[in-house]
Amino acid sequence: MEPLKVVVAGPVGAGKSTFIRTLSETEVVDTDALASEEIGKETTTVAMDYGTLHLGDQLLYLFGTPGQDRFDFMWDVLSEGALGLLMLVRGDKPEDFGSARRLLDYITSRHPVPYVLGVTRQDQPPVWGPEEVAPFFGVPQERVVGLNARDPRSAVGPLVRLLELMVDE
Amino acid sequence: MTKQEELQGILRELKQALPELRSIVVASTDGLPIVHDAADAPRVAAMAATALGLGKRISQTTDLGSLEETIVRGNQGYFVVYATGDKGVLAVSAPADANLGLIHLEARSYAARLAQVL
Repeated sequence: MEPLKVVVAGPVGAGKSTFIRTLSETEVVDTDALASEEIGKETTTVAMDYGTLHLGDQLLYLFGTPGQDRFDFMWDVLSEGALGLLMLVRGDKPEDFGSARRLLDYITSRHPVPYVLGVTRQDQPPVWGPEEVAPFFGVPQERVVGLNARDPRSAVGPLVRLLELMVDE
Repeated sequence: MTKQEELQGILRELKQALPELRSIVVASTDGLPIVHDAADAPRVAAMAATALGLGKRISQTTDLGSLEETIVRGNQGYFVVYATGDKGVLAVSAPADANLGLIHLEARSYAARLAQVL
């Protein structure tokens, strides 16, 4: 089976780097730099995160994008040759939904690949659940999955869904 | 003198030392412009941080030690990003006929000075 390249995108602080660190079976290639603006965390990704993971026999390459809009040129660089997209958004930060939706539209219009929307921080209520977030994004319910990016069993959920959708499409 | 003025002063000196440079951008390692003479500084600053961040990781992974600079060479010129302490990057662009050795010589020493101020 051919390895499958999946891009992990989303606004700053959505949990993209955490997600890849949680799931990767190989040493993660990260590119953190000290954050010089207030973004609620110490460091931020400036180029990419990279990790690998097996789901059954299927090998996945996970490529995480930087979150800030100023790194938008990396979205296209990393989406080249991708076969799936996982868009992460913080479930406890609805003010990010607008930018996440624009990002989802941007990437899927330029790289029309199957996607899943992952709603993070499901372990930290109050938090929007996937069934509440789906109508906001105007995407079918089956494409929206809740997760906790720090818990491997929970984090793998959206990737399993993405594979299921790819088999169907 | 404020930190900003001090950095501006160093930038002016670097321009005088290397008049062939097309643009100079000093940015934070997370890609925000600090001082510059470039029209599209926000974009250049972000790209410089990306090039440096990825360069650092490549340098570590392939046992090259700590990163000093990342060079992009096109058929019409150079874009070179110098590590500037822990917090900064210095990005310069120069035409293809520029003397890269001279640029390195000057830019590395200016990067060290900028690092002290940052």
